Amino acid sequence: MVKENNLALYIHVPFCVSKCSYCNFCSFVPKAEQFTKYLNALKHEIQSRAKDLQNKQIFSIYIGGGTPSILPKNAIIDLIETIKANFDVLKDASITIEANPNTFSLEKAQEYKQAGCTRLSLGLQSHKPELLKLLNRAHTYQDFESAVLNAKKCGINDINADILLGVPTQTKQDIIDTLNLLIEQPLTHISAYGLINEEGTPLTKAIQAGELDLPSEESAVEMYDLTVDFLKKHGFYRYEISNFAKKGFESIHNLNYWNRGEYLGLGLNAYSFVDRAHWRNTENFNDYINNPLLALDYEKETEKTAKEETIMLALRTEKGLNINEYNTKFKTDFLKDFSDALKRLEKNKLIKFDKGNLKIVNFSISNAIILEFFKNL
Amino acid sequence: MDDRQKYIRNFCIIAHIDHGKSTLADRLLEYTGTVATRDLQEQLLDSMDLERERGITIKLTPTRMKYTYEGQEYILNLIDTPGHVDFSYEVSRSLAACEGAILIVDAGQGVEAQTLANVHLALDNHLEILPVINKIDLPSAEPEKVKHEIEDVIGIPAMHAPCISAKEGTNIKSVLDAIIKEFPAPRGVLEAPLKCLVFDSYYDNFKGAICLVRVFDGSVKVGDKIKFMQTNNTFEVTEVGYFTPKAKPCDVLLAGEVGYIAASIKKVSEAKVGDTITNADNPTKEPLAGYKQIQPVVFSGIFPVDGSKYGELKDALEKLKLNDSSLEYQPETSVALGFGFRCGFLGLLHMEVIQERLEREFNLDIITTAPGVNYHVYKTDGEMLEVSNPSNLPDSTLIDHMEEPYVNLRIFTPPEYMGAIMDLCVDRRGENTGMQYLDEKRVRLDYSIPLNEIIYDFFDSLKSRTRGYASLDYELSEYKPSKLVKLDILLKGEVCDALSMIVHSDKAYTRGKAMVEKLKEVIPRQMFEVPIQAAVGGKIIARETVKAFRKDVLAKCYGGDVTRKRKLLEKQKEGKKKMRNIGSVEVPSDAFISILKID
Repeated sequence: MVKENNLALYIHVPFCVSKCSYCNFCSFVPKAEQFTKYLNALKHEIQSRAKDLQNKQIFSIYIGGGTPSILPKNAIIDLIETIKANFDVLKDASITIEANPNTFSLEKAQEYKQAGCTRLSLGLQSHKPELLKLLNRAHTYQDFESAVLNAKKCGINDINADILLGVPTQTKQDIIDTLNLLIEQPLTHISAYGLINEEGTPLTKAIQAGELDLPSEESAVEMYDLTVDFLKKHGFYRYEISNFAKKGFESIHNLNYWNRGEYLGLGLNAYSFVDRAHWRNTENFNDYINNPLLALDYEKETEKTAKEETIMLALRTEKGLNINEYNTKFKTDFLKDFSDALKRLEKNKLIKFDKGNLKIVNFSISNAIILEFFKNL
Repeated sequence: MDDRQKYIRNFCIIAHIDHGKSTLADRLLEYTGTVATRDLQEQLLDSMDLERERGITIKLTPTRMKYTYEGQEYILNLIDTPGHVDFSYEVSRSLAACEGAILIVDAGQGVEAQTLANVHLALDNHLEILPVINKIDLPSAEPEKVKHEIEDVIGIPAMHAPCISAKEGTNIKSVLDAIIKEFPAPRGVLEAPLKCLVFDSYYDNFKGAICLVRVFDGSVKVGDKIKFMQTNNTFEVTEVGYFTPKAKPCDVLLAGEVGYIAASIKKVSEAKVGDTITNADNPTKEPLAGYKQIQPVVFSGIFPVDGSKYGELKDALEKLKLNDSSLEYQPETSVALGFGFRCGFLGLLHMEVIQERLEREFNLDIITTAPGVNYHVYKTDGEMLEVSNPSNLPDSTLIDHMEEPYVNLRIFTPPEYMGAIMDLCVDRRGENTGMQYLDEKRVRLDYSIPLNEIIYDFFDSLKSRTRGYASLDYELSEYKPSKLVKLDILLKGEVCDALSMIVHSDKAYTRGKAMVEKLKEVIPRQMFEVPIQAAVGGKIIARETVKAFRKDVLAKCYGGDVTRKRKLLEKQKEGKKKMRNIGSVEVPSDAFISILKID
C-alpha cells in the first residue's frame, strides 16, 4: 500500500539520437545549445516545485525519455544533486535511469553509479537486425550486451530490458530467440510491450499505406502468451500486463502509478499526480524554457474519476483490486455497486476472486473488462 | 339557401402517387394569385420536410383561393389529400369535407391501382368527380387513350376532361373553370344550429389544438361556446380563420366554408378528428356521420435507445398522435429493450414516417422491432386472443389454431412483367383470384394474400421486378386459418424477445437462417463467443457464431499519463450507449433495424 507523504519523481529528457519509427513520445533530436537551456529550466522547476512539497519524502526517482544517456557528461550527477539538495530524498530511494544500448559506455555507467542510480532500464526492443532497422533503432544486440556488462562492472545490478511484441514481420520464433538471449543476461526485470499503432508515426503511416502488415490479432495474442510462459519458466513473473520481474525486483516506480501513489513529473510534457490532482507540463520546448512551471490540464479528482482510476490501474496488476481497501477508501460496497458486471464477467470466466482481490483472468482483453466497470460509474 | 354559398366550391385532388397532385395544387394557388410566384416553394402544401423529400403528402392543408369566373368572384377551398395507399383513411377524411374531387390521371401512365381506390372512396362519399389528364407535355403522353381508359376502367365520363401540364402551367384555367361548372355549391343552412366536421387537427404551442373544420350548417365566431358531440367537451372559441395557405384569422366561419377553430384545447384527445362540433347553447340534434374508425394493421415496438428517454418518447408519441389520429400506441415492456411502446400503423410507410418524425422532429434515437400484424389465436379452451406482439403468444400446447389477416391485392402492370409478379406473389403465399386485360398494354391482377407477406418489402420487390411500372393497392379482406409458428432468436442461449416473430411454418427455416446470418454481420465480436440461434418451439433450426475477440489495445500506462487512458475508456463507454445488453451480449441498436431489411 502507498505510504502517506511518499512521492515519486519522474524527470523527462526529451532528446534522442534519432526518432524511432513507432515512437510518439515527446522526444526529438536536439541542437547542441538546447541541452544547457533545458537543464537550467529543469533545475529551476525542481527548485520551485520542491518549495511546496517539503513535507513529502521521495522514495523513487525515474529519469526517462527520450534518451537520458545522451545528456552531456556530468549532467545526471548535477541533476540528482539538485534533486537531493531540494527534496527530502530517502536514503534507500530507488533511482532508475533509462538508456539506449549504444549510448551507454563504461564511462556513463561509472557516472550514473556515482550519481546514485540504482537501476538501469535499457531499450532493446528486439535482437534481430531487420526488426531494429524497421523500428529505426540506432543500436545492435551487441551494444545491448556491452551496456549490460558496463552496468554490472560498475555495480548497477538492477537492470531492465524493454522488448516489443507484435512488430510488423516479427515472428513467434523471433520473440523466442530474443527471449533466449535475454535470459542469458543478468537481468532482473523485463518489460514486454505490445506495439501500439500511434497516429502519425512513420510506422503507422507505412501500415496505413499497406507497405507493412501488423501481425493478426490471433498471433499477437500468441506472442504475448508465449512470452508470459517463457518468462515464467525462467523466473520472471508477470506482475502487470506488460511487466515481468524476478521476485523482489518489481519496479516500485511503476507500482506507485498503479497504486495511485503520488508522483511529480518534471521536465517537458511530464505528468503529475499530487494532492489528488492531475496536471501535465507543456510539450512545447520554448514554452517550457520560458516558464517551466506552466501546468496544463489541471484536473482535481472527483469521486468518479478516483474510482475509475483505482479500478483501471489496479486491474492492470497481477495482484488485482483489493475489495476491502476499495470499500474503505470510498465508503461503499464494491460487490453491490458492480453486481451485474461482476456476475456477467464471472460467468464468462473473465475475472476471478483471490484472497479478497479481484483479478482479470485474461489480460489481452483487459480494456473491455475494465470498461464493464466504467459503465456502472 | 343563402346566395353566398352559390359562390363557394369545396374540393380536393385525388391521384395515384406521382401523377402530379401537389404540382397541380401549387399551380392553382399561383394562377389564382393566392401565392405570388416568387414565394412559391415547390409543393407548397407539403409543409413537412419529410413530405417534400419523399414527394408524398401526409398532412392535410386546406387552402382558400379566390377566382373570378364570368365576372363573379368565387371562393375555392382546396383540401389536399395524401397520395399513399397507407393513408386512404386520411383521404376519406378530406373527401367528407368536400363536394367535388379532381381526379388526376397521368397522360403517360393511365389509370393505376390507387386511381381506382381513390375513385371508389370519392364515390362512397357521393362526390362529383372531375377527371383531369396531366403531364400532356411528356413525349409518351396519350391523352385521348387515357380518356377512353378512364371511361372503360372507372366508368365515369371523361371526354371533356381538361388536358393539362401542371408542371408547365398549361391549361390551368380550364381546370378552375371546370371546378366552378362541375362541382356543386355547398347547401348548408345558415340559420340552423352549428354543425361542423373536424377533418384534421394539429397542435400549436400557443393556441392549443387547432381543429380544421368544414362548417355544414350554422356559423361559429370568437366567444361562441362549442361542444364536441362525441366527447361532450365544451370550449370557448378563441379564434376562427382560414388558410391562404398561412393561417389568417377572420370574424366568423359560415355554413359552407372551410377553416380552423382554436379554443384553448389543451389535449389532443379532446379535439378528436371525425367529431362534430356544435354550439353548446344551441346544439344540433344529430351529429355528422364522421368516419369509420380505422384500425391499424401493422404493429411494431418502438423503444428509446437510451432507456432514460422513455418519458421523452411518450411525449413525442402523444404530440404525433395529436396530428395523426390513426397512430395507436400502448406501453410495452421488453426483456431485451426495456420500456417502450407497441404502436399500430396504417401500413409500412406510415410506420417509417412516424419513425422518421420521432428521430427528426423530436431528436430521439429509437429502436424499432420487426413489424407484424394482428393474429387471431384460438386457444384449446375456446378463447380467442388477438395477438400482435409475438411475446404475447401463448404456449403452443394451448393453441388450437391461428388465423391471419388477408388482403385483396390489386396490381396494375404491363403484361411483360406478369410472370415476375406471379412468381413474387406465389412466393408470398398469394392466391390468384382474377386477371383482366385493360388494354393490350396493361393487365390487372388480383390476389388474395396474407397481409404479413406484404408489409416488409413487397412494394420494393414489386417495383424492382417491374422496373417501377407496376402499381398496387390493397384492402383488408378477412381472417383465414394459417399454419403459423413463433420464431425465436437466442443470443448466447437466451431468447431475445425483441427479435421474436410470428411466421408461416414453411418460411420459418429460411427466415431463421437469414436472421442469424444477418445478426452475425451486425453483432460485433465480444469478450466471449456469442452463439446466435434461431428456434421454433424450442428446436434449433439455424445457428451462427460470433467469435470472441482476442485482444484489445494493450495501452501502456506510461510515465503517469493516467488521465489520457481514463478519458479514452470514458469515450469508449459513451460509444457503448448505442448498445443494448441482451443477457450478457451487447447488441447495437442498428441490429434491430437491419434484420427488417432481410429479403
